[in-house]
Amino acid sequence: MHYTATGLDNRKIAIWAFIGSECMLFMSLISTYLIYKGKSVVGPFPHEAWTDPMTGRVFHGILDIPVTSASTFVLLMSSLFMVLALAAVQNKHVPKHTTGDRILGSSRLWLFMTALAGTTFLGFQAFEFTSFVHEGLTIRRNLFGSTFFTLTGFHGAHVTAGVLWLLTLLAIDFKRGLTAADEMVVDMCALYWHFVDVVWIAIFTLIYLIR
Amino acid sequence: MKGSSRLRRLLPYLAFTALALTLVACTGETTQYPNSTFEPKTELGRAIDDLWDILLLLGTIVFVLVELALAFVVWKYRNNKEAKHTHGNTKLEILWTMIPAVILVFIAVPTVRTIFETQAPAPGDALKVDVIGHQWWWEFRYPEYGVTTANELYLPVGRTVSFSLTTKDVIHSFWIPQMGAKRDLIANRTNYIWFTPDTAIAPSVWNGFCTEYCGTSHAFMRFRVFTVTPEQFESWVAGQKATAAFNAGPAAPAPSAPDSQPPAASPLDTNPPAQPIGPPTGTGTAQLAGGVAPGYFFPHESMPEYAVPQRPLPANISFTRGLTGDPARGQTAFMLGGCIGCHTVRGNPMAAGTIGPDLTHFATRHTLAGGTYPNTTDYLARWIKNARVMKPGSIMPTLGKGEYDPVLKRTAPVSLDDQQIADIVAYLQQLR
Amino acid sequence: MTTAAITPHVTDYKTAGAYTGQKGIWSWLTTVDHKRIGKLYLFTALFFFMVGGLEAVVIRAQLGGPNRSLVSAEFYNQLFTMHGTTMVFLAIMPLSAAFFNFLIPLQIGARDVAFPRLNAFSYWVYLFGGIFITVPIFFALAPNGGWFGYTPLTTKAYSPGINIDFWVIGLLILGVSSLAAAFNFLTTIINLRAPGMTLMRMPMFTWMSFVVQFLLVLAFPVITIALVFLLFDRFFGTNFYTVTAGGDPLLWQHLFWIFGHPEVYILVLPAFGLVSELLPTYSQKPLFGYAVVVYSGILIGFLGFGVWAHHMFAVGMGPVADTVFSLTTMLIAIPTGVKIFNWIATVAQGKLKFTTAMLFALGLISLFTIGGISGIMHSSPPANLQQTDTYFIVAHFHYVLFGGSIMGIFGGIYHYFPKMFGRLMHEGLGKIHFWLTFIAMNLTFFPMHYAGLLGMPRRIYTYDANQGWDLFNAISTGGAYLLGVAIIVFIWNFLSSMKRGAIAGPNPWNAPTLEWSIPSPPPEYNFAQTPEVHSRYPMWDQRASDVDHPKVNLTEGKSPEQMGIIMPYNTIKPLVVALGLVVMFSGLIASRDPATGGSKPVLWVMFAGAAVMIGALYSWLLSPLEPEHHAH
Repeated sequence: MHYTATGLDNRKIAIWAFIGSECMLFMSLISTYLIYKGKSVVGPFPHEAWTDPMTGRVFHGILDIPVTSASTFVLLMSSLFMVLALAAVQNKHVPKHTTGDRILGSSRLWLFMTALAGTTFLGFQAFEFTSFVHEGLTIRRNLFGSTFFTLTGFHGAHVTAGVLWLLTLLAIDFKRGLTAADEMVVDMCALYWHFVDVVWIAIFTLIYLIR
Repeated sequence: MKGSSRLRRLLPYLAFTALALTLVACTGETTQYPNSTFEPKTELGRAIDDLWDILLLLGTIVFVLVELALAFVVWKYRNNKEAKHTHGNTKLEILWTMIPAVILVFIAVPTVRTIFETQAPAPGDALKVDVIGHQWWWEFRYPEYGVTTANELYLPVGRTVSFSLTTKDVIHSFWIPQMGAKRDLIANRTNYIWFTPDTAIAPSVWNGFCTEYCGTSHAFMRFRVFTVTPEQFESWVAGQKATAAFNAGPAAPAPSAPDSQPPAASPLDTNPPAQPIGPPTGTGTAQLAGGVAPGYFFPHESMPEYAVPQRPLPANISFTRGLTGDPARGQTAFMLGGCIGCHTVRGNPMAAGTIGPDLTHFATRHTLAGGTYPNTTDYLARWIKNARVMKPGSIMPTLGKGEYDPVLKRTAPVSLDDQQIADIVAYLQQLR
Repeated sequence: MTTAAITPHVTDYKTAGAYTGQKGIWSWLTTVDHKRIGKLYLFTALFFFMVGGLEAVVIRAQLGGPNRSLVSAEFYNQLFTMHGTTMVFLAIMPLSAAFFNFLIPLQIGARDVAFPRLNAFSYWVYLFGGIFITVPIFFALAPNGGWFGYTPLTTKAYSPGINIDFWVIGLLILGVSSLAAAFNFLTTIINLRAPGMTLMRMPMFTWMSFVVQFLLVLAFPVITIALVFLLFDRFFGTNFYTVTAGGDPLLWQHLFWIFGHPEVYILVLPAFGLVSELLPTYSQKPLFGYAVVVYSGILIGFLGFGVWAHHMFAVGMGPVADTVFSLTTMLIAIPTGVKIFNWIATVAQGKLKFTTAMLFALGLISLFTIGGISGIMHSSPPANLQQTDTYFIVAHFHYVLFGGSIMGIFGGIYHYFPKMFGRLMHEGLGKIHFWLTFIAMNLTFFPMHYAGLLGMPRRIYTYDANQGWDLFNAISTGGAYLLGVAIIVFIWNFLSSMKRGAIAGPNPWNAPTLEWSIPSPPPEYNFAQTPEVHSRYPMWDQRASDVDHPKVNLTEGKSPEQMGIIMPYNTIKPLVVALGLVVMFSGLIASRDPATGGSKPVLWVMFAGAAVMIGALYSWLLSPLEPEHHAH
């Protein structure tokens, strides 16, 4: 590695700067959601039922907390898998004696599991979006729809980018095997992935749980 | 050194500019600078002006001292042979951190006081005026009197007026420089501003502007403010409350503008005759109210130069000379030509459109098209013929036969010939 | 990497050496050298500066007298929108970026920026984005919602045409460029400082740039989101700014100004940094109160995030919010004033040399002071309510952005031209340029104070006679024409000096910082050996004491191969990624809907752009930056 003033890899500094920037991005999105909370002129609303005065159609509260809790759990688990994947790459050189060592030390397994959990989360989100649309909430419907779909959609796009990154790492791992030299890239991916997770915790708390 | 002597010469120049600004601040006259913020005519304007005086004084002192200090060090060390390697001086740093801080205290204290003073709730007995912004004209409603007008605001002197500001479309901003302070008109919100016109200024007229960029014809969203005596105001209200004083009887004077009249040197020449200040009559109904005199309105011939739009007649809209308009035919054309879709003429149950300005007392107004043109026959006829050429982006459609509509980019679909337009002009000029 | 002492090699060094670097258009398209990218930024930004200036001249011609009709209202609105957008995003920011690129690695003793290819990518995105947003004005289809783009005017309901789409998408594209560059320079400054280059030894330009990178990183995401909302509203029918759906028009204003006020410091702090290099050099003494200037810069940047609503006093936020934002705004005056006092104290007791660069630096102090004072005047909300959206504000921010940023940047160009091109700019023409600029600038903008206080609103395409504004406008217009002449003098000087200027040598100004320890123009590898830094002013201290002098890198201009230095590969991939990105965005407005006159997305263009972008990105990320290092 080149000489650096801090002793850290350039990429490590850059990914932190990027995450700082992303914090402002999601803060803007979440703030907008909160500012517009309860300001929608027509339903459906996140929690309360609403009856359309024109048609008499009843719209139930949109958010389904049990289902989203499940997807949140899956995403949290993915962070654990990510930790294991990074540890596996970092410990490539450590000899593996038992089956357990070999399982824990398999970067392919844990990268795959992380990507799988991420994809599952996206599957949940796709299901959620589809069912919301069926229940009458579209991105055009009202302020709730616009802010909700944009915020969670942005998050979903970040998860998608993360999954692509994980799959790329996985492909490299299958092709030539990740080595200690690739540690920094996996570390960056892990930082990004944990960040995306933390953002989801904030979204889940502020949008789903708090009424 | 050449450079430093130039900088030295700079000094009087800079001092001069500061001095000149101060002089303008003190001596601006209404006739020369009709929209000056230095000559406030309300308590709000004066509160701001007092604050401004502090700001200008402190600002000028800081300006002069900083520029002097800069010029001094440049001049003093212009031929210095040896630089003295100082890295800093803690005492000096503390000193010049404190100086601006102290100056700012002198600004902050009166600022905060003035903020709370000027944004306090308006007195309960204030005259209420609803200001509604449109692209690009002003609607003024007096809810206590049921009066609606456009682009012309009448205010009784000595009485606090409290404006509530909203908009029909984009953000606008309401500003009468001589009355002080501007406020934005924002959809889904109501804003407030209040002030009391000085008793000494009745009757007079002031210019108002939209100061938030609001689209194509933002430049043409002006209005006039008439500060009048309480009696004149009462008379004006009574006149405005009345339905249109339209007399279908005698034909109006003919619009007889030559095709390419030079920019109206005195555009008031062809005005309808100025109305004397008369007692309010008030109860006539539209077509039947022949001969009813309207309430007070600001005499056309008394309009000061700065309040009369100077914008020349558009060269590319021609109008047949020597036509005589017939108000009765004009009223029919007004109804059939689609005008009533957008305009209200109270007393005429068919004319109840709300998209454009209320025209009930159109002939009492001094300007057209958001304060852009004088309300004279020549301008009015061309305005009806092709408003979109006279005011870019205007919703008012191009109506003249064969005229090119610059918004639709084709010839006007509705078409009135010059005679019909002359009739409508005659009709409108009867609406007092 | 090892650092080794080499003896100073200061001779009557007259040429840039035998090896003059790479040649040919392809080498420019594929370069990853920060110095060449810096020059690309400089040329491009100067070009856009002239485009923006031309727009300003047409604006002033239209306003030279009452009721003129040189341009239509529609076109005027495009002109003033594009003048602001161009000057902010395409001229001043990239001019600063030109200096970031060229100077920061040299000032901190680095071989290049942290991510050379990302750096090239930033430039190409800027170029393509700049072209994207500028071209429409030649078809009278340019953005027309003002550089601030207030909703709901810029929503589809009130601006159905294609104009605003260019603006929204153009700014999103330019944001990518700014953010990528900011991550890069933040990392560069944190991580690539040479041994001994502690934070408090960094040259002031690098310091101010450091603050600016933080502002960029934190402010641009906010405008990005505001623009995404507007984009979604316009293309997908969302309701963020839809009044009938309950949307709040002020949401845009808050988001825009949370970005917009830090943006002011993004525009002006680099110029402050440049001036803080120029004044010590031409006074031949250290910057007075270095630490205080650093801290005040940090404080300005920090406070800059807490004052945004002072742009919104007229919206009716209520007395409490008005008070808070008024006081925070006034607070910023303190660190700003401190900077000015320190500059003046730097000049005091100095051995002054009145070069063109010095004149511009002194000009900045005197003119920015005026902008600062008028800024204080409208930090007071009641006074602000008479001044905002009038020509007084136009005067104010031109004293800040022209008197501050542009004067500083011109000074920087005269000062660093010899380092960039190895030749000096002509001083005689330079002084003519300075005095023309200084006089014309005041002629143009000072009368605007009067016009504004005498009631003239901003952004009006014409005004009526008899309003008391004619004289001031006529003077402003004359001043603007004179500014145009000044710019022509500058461009002539710039171009002719590139060819015929006197050979500069490594340190023509006896400047103190590291970039002057290497040849002019610097070799591709900057420093043959990484210098070791022992003080803030290595070039001076090496003379002052023989104990702690820095290692000087005056080699005889050898190629990297001759020096045994491994340089990054040239690559076209960043350009291809940038092109793919811009094509992808262009797909959104690739077609016009004849029914509404608005734009219509063309999906295959978007997919093609995305495919090119992603493909090239993968290829870029999976290919090595530079040849393998071999153990020595």
